Amino acid sequence: MQCGWPLLGPLRWISYVNKQVKVKAGKDAEHRGWLMTVDPVSSSLVLVTFREGGGASVQVVMGHAVEEVQVLQEADEETTERLQASFLSPQTCRLDQ
Amino acid sequence: SIPTSAASEEDAELLSEEQHARSVLRESFLRCLLSMTNKKVQFNMYEKVKVEATFGASDIDVLNFQVSDLHTPIGVQKEALIRCRDVISFTFDI
Repeated sequence: MQCGWPLLGPLRWISYVNKQVKVKAGKDAEHRGWLMTVDPVSSSLVLVTFREGGGASVQVVMGHAVEEVQVLQEADEETTERLQASFLSPQTCRLDQ
Repeated sequence: SIPTSAASEEDAELLSEEQHARSVLRESFLRCLLSMTNKKVQFNMYEKVKVEATFGASDIDVLNFQVSDLHTPIGVQKEALIRCRDVISFTFDI
């Protein structure tokens, strides 16, 4: 994907969810991780990187700084589940379920 | 009454699909913000500025972040607002 990321819209953004992506943002900065979500208001990307032995590191790339988004690979079922449960506590479930 | 054309029905369907996608994405993003409260966050800003602070809150349109204990090169600012347009990315651990 070339520039124009903030203009893509929700249907295009959601197609990147659960994929491992490489994001170019700012001057020669590159971010990699599993795309958890895209904020539809600011078009910011939430990238999650799982650490060995549990836990994860979260990177949020601001939509206005995004220059290029490249898909590296799709998540398998286990990674998808882990990814989507990252910010949910055991007591809460998603609103659309 | 005004007859609805097939085209406008298609438009309505696309619109509701788009709205659903928007709500799913936004919900996840809000949960991400929520989990960031009171966590140490590293901000990566323009001109190679890197600062660390404890995250408080964001406004709904993601224009400003409220943070505490902002470690700047000239000292620690107890309370501060960070303008989101100055930020490239930020990182925290969960």
